[in-house]
Amino acid sequence: MPVPLSDSPPSAGLRLSAVSCRHGRLLAVDAVDLDLAPGEHLAITGTNGSGKSTLLRALLGLHREVSGVIEVSGRRARTPADWARRRAEVAWIPQRQAAGRFPLLVRELLASGGHAERAFAAAEDLGVGALLERPLATLSGGQLQRAYLARALGQVAAGAGLVLADEPTAALDFAGQEQVAGVLAGLAVSVVVVTHDRVVAQACGRVAEMAAGRLREVR
Amino acid sequence: MTSIWTLLEIPSVRLALLALLLGSVALPIVGVFIVGLDIMPVRFAMMHVALLGIAIGLLTGLDPLLCALVLCGLTGGALTPLARSGAGLSGAMGLLMTLAIAAALLVLSISGVNANGAFELLWGSILATRPGDVAALAVLAALVPALYGLRRKDLALLLHDRELAVCSGVAAERLTLILLVVIAVAIASAIRLTGALLVDALTLLPALAARRVGRSLSAMVGWSVAFGLAFNLGGFLLALLLDFPPGPVLVLVGGLCTVLLYSIPERILTK
Repeated sequence: MPVPLSDSPPSAGLRLSAVSCRHGRLLAVDAVDLDLAPGEHLAITGTNGSGKSTLLRALLGLHREVSGVIEVSGRRARTPADWARRRAEVAWIPQRQAAGRFPLLVRELLASGGHAERAFAAAEDLGVGALLERPLATLSGGQLQRAYLARALGQVAAGAGLVLADEPTAALDFAGQEQVAGVLAGLAVSVVVVTHDRVVAQACGRVAEMAAGRLREVR
Repeated sequence: MTSIWTLLEIPSVRLALLALLLGSVALPIVGVFIVGLDIMPVRFAMMHVALLGIAIGLLTGLDPLLCALVLCGLTGGALTPLARSGAGLSGAMGLLMTLAIAAALLVLSISGVNANGAFELLWGSILATRPGDVAALAVLAALVPALYGLRRKDLALLLHDRELAVCSGVAAERLTLILLVVIAVAIASAIRLTGALLVDALTLLPALAARRVGRSLSAMVGWSVAFGLAFNLGGFLLALLLDFPPGPVLVLVGGLCTVLLYSIPERILTK
């Protein structure tokens, strides 16, 4: 069931032009072009190692060997201040959520998104509201994914206009997958979701497939 | 107990006690940072850098320990870019150790100073604590808790996961730089108290014990200071009572307590 947003944050457009990413000598993302209008939802599918996660990480500056143009809301990020603004504009659900080499409470994770109350409410709706005082390391994979989704909803409430979700249902059961797909589909902001989950992909207006670093739109 | 009160009337014992009190506030928190950044070899690396600083001091005629503090601080800052990759920092420690000790021996050779004399400065002794050492620890005792208090939320995210911190708007590079400089300077200061080989008693043992019972950064910091005070003061008083050298007794008390804590089943600790 979609979690209603308390306000309507501005949706952010995304434009990629000839974006390539390398891991050393390996070309992981090869000259990707993409235009995503504000409010559009795009699912990216593809085999493991095809460059999907690297592409998402490049949007946040987490991958450094990047060439080409990446614009969110028409702006490139060049300076530390630009990157700080980019990261405030983009909500992020990572593929491998850190469960902790060092303790962090669910409450602290949720608050880090910028709108703690909204994230706590989302956590309640997603069934992890009772876990606020638990360290992340003690959560199951599914609980951890729900907590990160709740954090992302807090980020949206704090003003993020684009959600990047990297396999957000990988550790969930069928009911959980449907719930998360519904939550993402209900978002008024732009969404790019990397997924192997048909339910999630079908809920998106556009679907693209990534293979050997190239992105090809299939719907 | 009379003998303890009598011993406490000796100025060097009182100074040592004060140094231990101050150290027990700051250094266990530094230990938590070390555990959080997963850079346990940093203490060995900084000991070698400190030796290089001492050698430079002996060569130039400057205060050797001041040189050691400054060089450790600079080296800590220079390591910051390596923190971007997971294994970057801990991997660099081995290289740093080797380079620093080689450079130190070269400088000592050039300066014509007996290397044994320089090495002796690293052994340290609590009872040889000088007012300058206490002043350095007092600065750390104010600075480190203040750093923690002011940047608690950012530190919790950074120590948990650097990328999560970056995506949450934490200035990870700058905060890592501050942490590494503080860690390096703190270790160089602590070396004077217990000596290079026993510096873990003041930093890592309380932090490791705190990790066993703390479920968040705040809890770990609180527990680490409590354990630091208990281990250090308990060990020091025991050493005075038994007329043993304080350094090894501190380490043994802290180490045994930490082992005991880890032997308690987790279900009991988390009740």
